[in-house]
Amino acid sequence: MPVRKAEKGVQMMKPLNYAILKYFTKVDKASAQDVVKALQPEYGSFRALNEKAVLEALLTGVENGLLEEAGHTLDDHDNVVIYFHAPKSGADTINAYIKD
Amino acid sequence: MSGVEERATLTERKYNALKSNFFKKGVLIGGLSGLLYGVYSAFLTLGMARGIWSDWYGANTAGLSAFVIAYLLSALGTSINDTISGVWSLIQAGLKGKLKDFARTMRTKPGWIMVLAALFGGPIANTAYVIGLQMAGSLAAPVSALCVAIGAILGRVLYKQKLSLRMICGIALCFVATVMIGGNALADVNPQAALGCAISFIAALGWGIEGCVAGYGTSMIDFEIGITIRQCTSGIVNTLIVVPMFAIFAGNIGLAPSLLGQAWTSAPAMIFFVISGFCAMLTYSFWYKGNAMCGAALGMALNGTYSFFTPLCCWILLGLICQEPGWALTPLEWIAAIVMFVGILLIAVNPLSFFKGKIHEEKSYAGAEG
Repeated sequence: MPVRKAEKGVQMMKPLNYAILKYFTKVDKASAQDVVKALQPEYGSFRALNEKAVLEALLTGVENGLLEEAGHTLDDHDNVVIYFHAPKSGADTINAYIKD
Repeated sequence: MSGVEERATLTERKYNALKSNFFKKGVLIGGLSGLLYGVYSAFLTLGMARGIWSDWYGANTAGLSAFVIAYLLSALGTSINDTISGVWSLIQAGLKGKLKDFARTMRTKPGWIMVLAALFGGPIANTAYVIGLQMAGSLAAPVSALCVAIGAILGRVLYKQKLSLRMICGIALCFVATVMIGGNALADVNPQAALGCAISFIAALGWGIEGCVAGYGTSMIDFEIGITIRQCTSGIVNTLIVVPMFAIFAGNIGLAPSLLGQAWTSAPAMIFFVISGFCAMLTYSFWYKGNAMCGAALGMALNGTYSFFTPLCCWILLGLICQEPGWALTPLEWIAAIVMFVGILLIAVNPLSFFKGKIHEEKSYAGAEG
């Protein structure tokens, strides 16, 4: 049985972009950097899991109303860091289309 | 200025630069989708004029009927192009390590919504456009160009995207430009034209739905996976359903495998189909990504520049390089290109912002006020 459960676990792995959006239904707010860190264990081998690509995916999510910006600041290297969060309507849409 | 204030100013400057770059990238990608559509169309036209196609459209030693030449061959060309484009998309997804995500996406609701969008924009719209073109002549082009307006309206209704009065004016200008490029469209009015226009409107609906829905879908699905779904769906459905359907209408189902076999083994033509398929992969993926990054209104308008880029690329490839007569652009088409550019600019940027010097802050994603 544990084997079957493990197999099921592998099958349930989401596409990377789904996982990025889904993450925002579980946290209050996060930056692209936070998303990369959070998804690293499961998606570390994905070439698209990098800050630049994730930030573009998040800004696209904002453009389409799935996410909203939640402030911005500079990091220690003077790079701008934008924080995002999913408003209720966005989170509802994400949950409606992307199941756990 | 204190250190804190300096840092706050630097933060805002870098933030605005980042947002501005995102917007510019979206506009560039959307514009490239229009340009590459022209390149893809030119190579497709070239492919459909070489090898076995030159006989079918020329001497016609095979004795194909007028119906087959008008409808079936168009569907055949699209089916080969989209199938090759699907293969290119799969290769690209494989090279970028996205094949497994493609398979995972196909097991989800958004994946199947992309399939539906592909069906609307691929086989349904293309078939309607070909029929419309045959029945209404060049009137079909401006009617089908309404897809920009339809996509923008659907984006507003379905996904609450921005659509201000200023953007509507810009879309109207783009439409006027397309009608200008259609040129002698009104001279082509004939008794069948009304029905042809109605059928062309189905094409506009299909492309509008596809652009809007698939653009939104690209906010969830990686655009390279989205385009793999699109091109594979379109290639398979065109080959297995649309081409045989037209063969049945032509009274001989056997024509489908026969013509498909001859076309796929015509090397002089297939070279150009391989290139057109590659360009199709790029143009459609950029269309989806541009729509996702800019919203349907601006994305569709940027892609709509294909109505200028297509005759431009055909002129360069077929007229200048291949020395075939009849591809030169008219002065009206150049003027239309300028009108279209102004229309797109109007959708993208509030002209008042030029005077305020705040173009980036007033760009379309924040331009609800018009």
